Amino acid sequence: MSDHNRDPFLFRTENLSKLYPDGQVHALEDVSISVRRGEYVAIMGPSGSGKSTLLNLLGALDLPTSGEVYFDGQPLSKIRRLEQLRSQKFGFVFQSFYLLPILTAVENVQVPMFEGTLSASVRVSRAKELLELVGMGHRINHMPQKLSVGERQRVAIARSLANDPIALLADEPTGNLDSVSAEGVFDLFDHLHREQGMTIVLITHDEEFGHLAQRTIHMQDGRVKSEELCQERRIRTPLPPFAV
Amino acid sequence: MRFYTFVFKNVIRRRVRSTLTVIGMAVAVGAVVALVGISHGFERSFMQIYERQKVDLIIQQRGVKQKLTSVLDIELGAKIAEIPGVKRVDSGLVDFTSMDELGPVGVLVQGWEHDSPLLRALNVQPGGRLLKNDDQKCVLLGERLATSLEKNVGDTLSIFDDETYTVAGIFKSNTVYENGSMVVLLRDLQRFMGREGQVSGFTVIVEKPDDEAEIERIQHDIEDLAKNLEVTPTAEFVNSTTEIQVIRAIAWITSAVALVIGAVGMLNTMIMSVFERTREIGILRAIGWGRWRVVRMILMESILLSIAGGVVGTVGAISLTRLLANHPAVGGMVSGDVAPSVVVQGFVIALCVGLLGAAYPAYRGAKLLPTEALRHE
Repeated sequence: MSDHNRDPFLFRTENLSKLYPDGQVHALEDVSISVRRGEYVAIMGPSGSGKSTLLNLLGALDLPTSGEVYFDGQPLSKIRRLEQLRSQKFGFVFQSFYLLPILTAVENVQVPMFEGTLSASVRVSRAKELLELVGMGHRINHMPQKLSVGERQRVAIARSLANDPIALLADEPTGNLDSVSAEGVFDLFDHLHREQGMTIVLITHDEEFGHLAQRTIHMQDGRVKSEELCQERRIRTPLPPFAV
Repeated sequence: MRFYTFVFKNVIRRRVRSTLTVIGMAVAVGAVVALVGISHGFERSFMQIYERQKVDLIIQQRGVKQKLTSVLDIELGAKIAEIPGVKRVDSGLVDFTSMDELGPVGVLVQGWEHDSPLLRALNVQPGGRLLKNDDQKCVLLGERLATSLEKNVGDTLSIFDDETYTVAGIFKSNTVYENGSMVVLLRDLQRFMGREGQVSGFTVIVEKPDDEAEIERIQHDIEDLAKNLEVTPTAEFVNSTTEIQVIRAIAWITSAVALVIGAVGMLNTMIMSVFERTREIGILRAIGWGRWRVVRMILMESILLSIAGGVVGTVGAISLTRLLANHPAVGGMVSGDVAPSVVVQGFVIALCVGLLGAAYPAYRGAKLLPTEALRHE
């Protein structure tokens, strides 16, 4: 796809709905949102408002009941190998970290790289670089259970960057962290957004952290309730040059 | 880190789970190898008894497939010997007796003439001797039986309703079945069984064992001597004898039962071990692993665990079989050697069932949407 025809949005949803088969509840109802390249968006709302469902659909972790998700202008329903998208374009950060307990920090970071073309030695050096980037260079050979929860989340963030994604999707990344660790994580996101122009879609309960993003989307009962631009933030972190 | 290293670490570092899976597999493989090994060994040793005799024709009462129930007149032996082409005729009586020391397990007793080539062929251990015509109440014990009874040459033992016999020698046979048996003079066994003048059958050695037409002619000549005679070439006899057929059937049934139990055990172990990893599969799928890579990881782990289970199970089964072979009560019946084919069979089953048991839950896990797998508790 040439730049001329390029969709101005990295993510776009059209009338997205998700109905879970077990409960007759609409987790998501008629949601249409868009996220620009290089944008930092926070999705906020109370529990059960559909935030995580929306993020899972954006990240091709789940399929909608109706509606469509577009990534870079392409409808996800037309993409056969969604795992390639998840592997090469997205980085995921979860509230529960989801590190593999039997692997050290540096090994955990390499797990997504098996789907790429890097050699074993390059995988190791890249994993070390990423751990350095998230401030975990001194604990690369520690098992997850020997790390604090904040450190585990940093390792998980390093893992999410393993295949050099263009978008980071984070579901309550600080939900299990104390305030100091949480600040560290948001500093990292800020750095990734500001220095690397990464598109970040973040779910958080926390108003304070939510407003660190450029834009917040408020959800309630499976619908978008409101959207808000965080003016102050926009001034502090201007969009990278390649963003539309 | 290479993908294979990752798979290896997955197995090595999950010590408890891997150990439990290996134990589960080992028990199943061990059951198959031990049971199949024991039944095959039993069949093999029984076959060797007949094959070793090197006789050309076996004569029994018509319609009777078991030596034990065959009854023939000993005088027939002299008539058979007169048939042209017959080199030698020997008679024998076979029965079972029980001994207090060995509990309910019966002991095979063979009654032979002192000059029978079968008796002469026994490999008597140093210090002992074969039976002589003028021996009074002497017995030869198979090596295993002697060990079980704790008897040496010169010792006495009470058999046949409290008659005291002296151990003249201890013989070693290649077949465990014979090693657990005893040999007495034909007249002693006849007297005890109340079968004076009777034998279980005759063995015939011909002058030209390679001449099939000649053997067939002798076979007909012998059958013409009396209506109740059944004359069978040795090879045919071995295959048709009831004991062999029963043992084969038992071996087959035991093997089949062991296979079913083992396979179900292995399937259960492997399926449970993969099912409980559904969430981990969800994580791997979420961070971009394709379905095939997930399936490949689980199958490779399953192969490692199956091989480990196969090794542990086979070693355990061989140890158990040896232990059983040394046990006084069953020592004469069980061979301590498990045939390599049975070991290979155990390994192949472990690998096949291990792969099959892992393939289904791996496929199921890989097919789930990442969110479904992540929700799995």
